[in-house]
Amino acid sequence: MSRKHFPLWTVLAVVLVAALLIGGGVFSSSSPSAAARAAAIESVIRCPSCEDLSVAASSAPTAIAVRAEVSRQVAEGRSDGQIKEYLVARYGSAIVLEPATTGWAAVVWVLPVVVAIAAIGLLVLVLVRRRRRGDGDLDADVRSPDVDPVLLDERRRFLTQSLADADAEYLAGDLSDADYLALRQRDLTRLGLLASTSSTASTASTASTASTASTSVRDTPDTLDATTGTAASTDPSKGPATARHRRNRRFLLGALACFAAALIVAVPLFSSNRLPGQTATGSVNLSPSQQLARSLDQAAAVANTGQLGQAAQLYQSVLSAHPDSAVALAQLGWIEYRIGTAGSSTSLITDARAKLDQAVDLAPGDYAAHLYIGTILLAHDGNAAGAADQFRLFVGAGPPARVLAEAAPTLRTAFAQAGQPLPAGVPAG
Amino acid sequence: MLVVGAGLIAVLATRPPAAVTEVRSPLVGNPAPSIRGITVDGHAYALAQPPGTFVVLNYFASWCVPCQQEGPELVRFDFQHRQAGDARLVSVVFDDTTSAARSYQATLGATWPTLADSKGELALNYGVRAPPTTFLIAPDGRVVAYLVAPVTAAGLDALIARAKATGA
Repeated sequence: MSRKHFPLWTVLAVVLVAALLIGGGVFSSSSPSAAARAAAIESVIRCPSCEDLSVAASSAPTAIAVRAEVSRQVAEGRSDGQIKEYLVARYGSAIVLEPATTGWAAVVWVLPVVVAIAAIGLLVLVLVRRRRRGDGDLDADVRSPDVDPVLLDERRRFLTQSLADADAEYLAGDLSDADYLALRQRDLTRLGLLASTSSTASTASTASTASTASTSVRDTPDTLDATTGTAASTDPSKGPATARHRRNRRFLLGALACFAAALIVAVPLFSSNRLPGQTATGSVNLSPSQQLARSLDQAAAVANTGQLGQAAQLYQSVLSAHPDSAVALAQLGWIEYRIGTAGSSTSLITDARAKLDQAVDLAPGDYAAHLYIGTILLAHDGNAAGAADQFRLFVGAGPPARVLAEAAPTLRTAFAQAGQPLPAGVPAG
Repeated sequence: MLVVGAGLIAVLATRPPAAVTEVRSPLVGNPAPSIRGITVDGHAYALAQPPGTFVVLNYFASWCVPCQQEGPELVRFDFQHRQAGDARLVSVVFDDTTSAARSYQATLGATWPTLADSKGELALNYGVRAPPTTFLIAPDGRVVAYLVAPVTAAGLDALIARAKATGA
């Protein structure tokens, strides 16, 4: 931090705090209207049947019901806290988009404040110590005949660093010529005092530094650093200082290890159970297209494990948010067909076919729907010619080689039964 | 950092997904919110509190494939317990039209009360997010289980047996 600009920082900090307080409405005396209160609550309540949307931003029936309930309770005069408690008592704490202010979740609110206070406190402490050392205490220390060698070494290092800082700030244009010369003169004088107080080799070396430091501003930092290194290597107090440094490092590593262990234990302990389609690690704000792609991937992954009911549920939730998703329609149609066939449900198979037809209407170039329709025509209807038409469209849509290879036996059967040649690109088997 | 990351991944990845089993709900262990409303046939219905028997409260939709999966199981459960009189079913329509739900229940052969819940109030009272969702309510009126996956008759019987064993 520049010595010349220190008051400016203070002014900036005061302006920032004042702006935040005024902008945050701390000094506002007017109470919000019922509609504004309801809107504020709705903006922090999660839509129960959506992903990462507030009830204010969702038109899902569950969101509409929650909004109606919030408005009703606001009109009845219930407080924001009471309304949130009512919803939490039914949906769990995850219904509130912002973390709770009680229990373990309150750590999210408290931790930044604690860290900020600690950081500010540390900064103030460092500044006070630097200022104190830079003024009367330092002179008194270096003149004392029975001063601790460790303290002398600390003072020496501080002064060499102070000289280096002054050089750097001068070169950066942060110090005027007069200020720079005054600071330099002061620190060099103190280094000289240190040299006279101590008769050790390290002190002599530092005094030498003081005499050479005035030759060139640009050379000074390197010279001082080198000198500090020499002094440290010959200083008898190096042992205790290094030991203290090691102790501090061990303490820091131990604290980090404890924090990591607590985090690992706390995350599974206090996180809620995953619901269908939710990831283990939660979610970040994704764009609608990213969210759609992720939901489709999740559904496909579940379907691949054979959990058709769950996969259908996921595809259904995708369609609730994106009714025109041809991929979701095709996949859900195929799942419905498989479940309908297994349970001999004519209505489900009919529904499946309608979804597949809708998928083709929405995306005629999508290979999956053509493959599924062709398979149904062949396996359910025994219509090999119709299946061959669909499979031709499937091949023409350019499916991935893996999908084409998996579908090849069905395609060969269909074209053989239809008496038609196999399209180019289909493995002959 | 690597150790922390690896530890978190290991712990989170080995957690079983809750989709196929019971999940936590603030309602479990507490008195069940009141169940009253208009059935899909237009009749008023109110469940006594406490109900005196086990009640399976099932939220469903006709468009919901997992609901269609569990439908025959609910019919089986109803058939098995109707004579004994120790448990009964109440269904609630979730995010569906009354006519579609009525038609679906008729096709399924469901003869138990089915509440229309056109404004979603019953879903909100029980914190339902998606169908199928099922609650088991004990004879004393406490919610004893909450399931967010298709149920089976055997699974419901097991839950009732567990509730009885714990004094419900």
